[in-house]
Amino acid sequence: MLTYIARRLLTLIPMVIVISFLIYLGLELTPGDAVSHMIPPDAYGSMDPDRLQELRESLGLGKPFAVRYWIWISGVVQGDFGYSLAGGVPIADIFLDRLPATLELSFAALLISTILGSILGTISALTRGSATDQGLTVVGMLGVSIPEFFFGLVAILVFAINLDWLPVGGRTLPGYDSFWDRLPNLVMPALVLSIMMTAGVMRYARSSMLDALSRDFIRTARSKGMPEWRVNILHGFRVALTPVIVLIGFRLPVLIGGSVIIEQVFQWPGIGKEFVSAVRSQDYPLVMMVALFSVLAVLIASLIVDLLTAIIDPRVRLGE
Amino acid sequence: MNKLLTTSIMALVAAQVAGGATAQAINDSELSDPRVRQAIAYAIDMETIAETLFEGAAIPAVGLTSDPANYPDGMNTYSYDPERARELLAEAGWDGSRTLDMVYYYPDELTANFMAVVQAQLADVGIDMNYRLLEGDVGAQIGGVPDDPVNGPAVVEWDILYGARAAIANQEYFNRFAPGQMPTVPTIDAMVPLVEAVNATADPEVQRAGYQEMEGIINDGAYILPLYYQQLYIFESDRINRNGAPYGNEQYNYNSAIETWTVEPNEDGEAVAYTNGAPMQFFEVPWQNLGIWVHSKYVFDTILEADGALTPIGGELAETYEVSEDGMVFTFTLQDGLTWHDGSPLTAEDVQWSIEAAAQFPLTHPVLASTLSSIEGADALLAGDADSMSGISIDGNTVTITFEVLDPNVFLSFSQFAPLPSSYFEGVDPLQLQQHEFWQMPIGSGPFMIEEARMNEFTTLVPFPDYHRGEALIEQIIALPSADGDANLIRNAAAFRADFGYSKNATDVPSLEEMEHMTVIPANIPYTRMFWINQFPRN
Repeated sequence: MLTYIARRLLTLIPMVIVISFLIYLGLELTPGDAVSHMIPPDAYGSMDPDRLQELRESLGLGKPFAVRYWIWISGVVQGDFGYSLAGGVPIADIFLDRLPATLELSFAALLISTILGSILGTISALTRGSATDQGLTVVGMLGVSIPEFFFGLVAILVFAINLDWLPVGGRTLPGYDSFWDRLPNLVMPALVLSIMMTAGVMRYARSSMLDALSRDFIRTARSKGMPEWRVNILHGFRVALTPVIVLIGFRLPVLIGGSVIIEQVFQWPGIGKEFVSAVRSQDYPLVMMVALFSVLAVLIASLIVDLLTAIIDPRVRLGE
Repeated sequence: MNKLLTTSIMALVAAQVAGGATAQAINDSELSDPRVRQAIAYAIDMETIAETLFEGAAIPAVGLTSDPANYPDGMNTYSYDPERARELLAEAGWDGSRTLDMVYYYPDELTANFMAVVQAQLADVGIDMNYRLLEGDVGAQIGGVPDDPVNGPAVVEWDILYGARAAIANQEYFNRFAPGQMPTVPTIDAMVPLVEAVNATADPEVQRAGYQEMEGIINDGAYILPLYYQQLYIFESDRINRNGAPYGNEQYNYNSAIETWTVEPNEDGEAVAYTNGAPMQFFEVPWQNLGIWVHSKYVFDTILEADGALTPIGGELAETYEVSEDGMVFTFTLQDGLTWHDGSPLTAEDVQWSIEAAAQFPLTHPVLASTLSSIEGADALLAGDADSMSGISIDGNTVTITFEVLDPNVFLSFSQFAPLPSSYFEGVDPLQLQQHEFWQMPIGSGPFMIEEARMNEFTTLVPFPDYHRGEALIEQIIALPSADGDANLIRNAAAFRADFGYSKNATDVPSLEEMEHMTVIPANIPYTRMFWINQFPRN
């Protein structure tokens, strides 16, 4: 297994280089640069273009594309992620500052969706064809088809503004010292972020459970006189869990991507909100690092899923 | 000297009246024919649009500036007259075969709706127009100037631009009529000496004569079509009491006297007020957007002070100030005992360093930059031939500034100019001033100092105990992050997390006014939305 992991990790290197180059190229092809985004369009006509050009040169934006990419990638290899062009803040500091907020939100959503999705999917499968099953199927369809930002805005209107139960947004305020102080701020964004994933997990768990329940070993377990709940949970659910774990694993990076929208709606100060701001201002060192982070998250999640699948399901042999 | 300028302006007036706008195309573009531009002006029913689409939150424009005192007698208001528009188009030989390309850079829905209305009204008189939102590097797409200032071809790739001019000095509306500065209008000879004249005097009467003349020329030839004046909306919750302090142009620095405001204590008995305008990644250098951010207004004091209409009215950090009779020497003396928020003394050396750094900082506001670059020795400093400006001298608390050329906005500029503590910037290249770590937690001299800055989350401000006008009464300001045009304003206001601030977005106004705890006060600001019509032929 160690050889397999090492081989997979080595293949990440060329993949990351190629993907980062393509993202860098995409940014290069986008009109404008960080300097032109520092000036509101209404004021652009009054600015001295020579002074702006000097600023471009001082920020290294005057160098050819290939040179800039080389400087950036060689810096990253040496652990120097550069600094934000807009405000001069080291990228590593921005990451360390914003990442906990995104991880907090993403893992909360992952936890909620995994537990809820698995339970509801299992119930749906065990009550196949009943009103409960059909009701959950409809709810699942709604969950995957209505966009998250819509749920977010409705939730803010109802729970924050009309009922005044939860804060309208943000992660923290002065005097919030612990996680429990911040918890009310986390509830709405985490629940909204988890809606689509819960629906996905539920549908996946249902079909996986149905598949498991139709297997021979389930019939054998029943014929041995095992109680129904043990058959369902210990035998059926365990087997049904494998594809669900695969799904959850692949959802990890999606959660980080999905939080971009939720972070905007709920003013959540995470990487997603920072990414949108960086893209708008063409702050390429920051955009590149967020993109690189997402790429790595996808690739590593894929590796973890493979490993977990092999651990859970003995039939899977890594590297074959 | 002023008499001489007045005389020369009067002579130009006469020349212009004799000349007028030529009623034919001056190059290969149909839009260089004033009759086509006038037809566009007559085709748009701005009164109805302001009343309906903008729900009364826009004032139909007559001139580029909103002050009628700047208009000559007989300004054409171009009131909605589609019949007249059709006649003018027929006279100009407009055959309707050309579809105009209108661009804009405001991504909001209201602008898109406005574009749709204008499209329909132009179609009604026989002008086809398509519109599109400019994406990416907007500045580069709207700012290119042709090499040939009469025949073009145009550098910009559109026919009409819907945009705005925000100004703190009236010259800003007209300065691009200097030769070779305008992306859309071929050089108008009569405008050139007028632009020079209004920039060469500080006498408001002489300037006024120049503005009237220029407004008349632009109006007559419909070189630019002013559409409407936008107001700024100050909102205030019923927890805040300004105690008589004035309202004004919130985008800039004025005597809002925030240190005298009070706020109703919260349930813990603390006088805490919420606002917006906190930073998302760094505090912006206060020389760029002057008063937009919470720290620009309340953390930094300026040399002079302006009233709500931005007219300089006295000293702020300066105890006394004067300008010589010829306007070429400006002297001010700082108050005794001024300190920065870290307790270190605020000195004349800090002021000198700040002036020189602001002159070199590439994003300094254009009006301020123009004043600073007029100082004797500024050119040598900018060219790297000198380490300081020869025109600045210091004697104790007194700073004397000698100008190379007269600047018309010295008082205005210094009423917006906040010095910085130079000790934090030793060895820093002014080009990269914004990238300095100081802007994660800046030290200022204003009534409030930064207590805690959590980027993208909140910034808290607390009173500066040694403020020269006395300690502020509000115990803490919690500022939530937002740029100009706060997308979260309504939600935060509804949740009692916005006690004071402003919006320029007319669509925010009805929602704010519906909130029982909120009052909205409109303020007139120099901000004109307009159409720039590309009068150069396009490739």
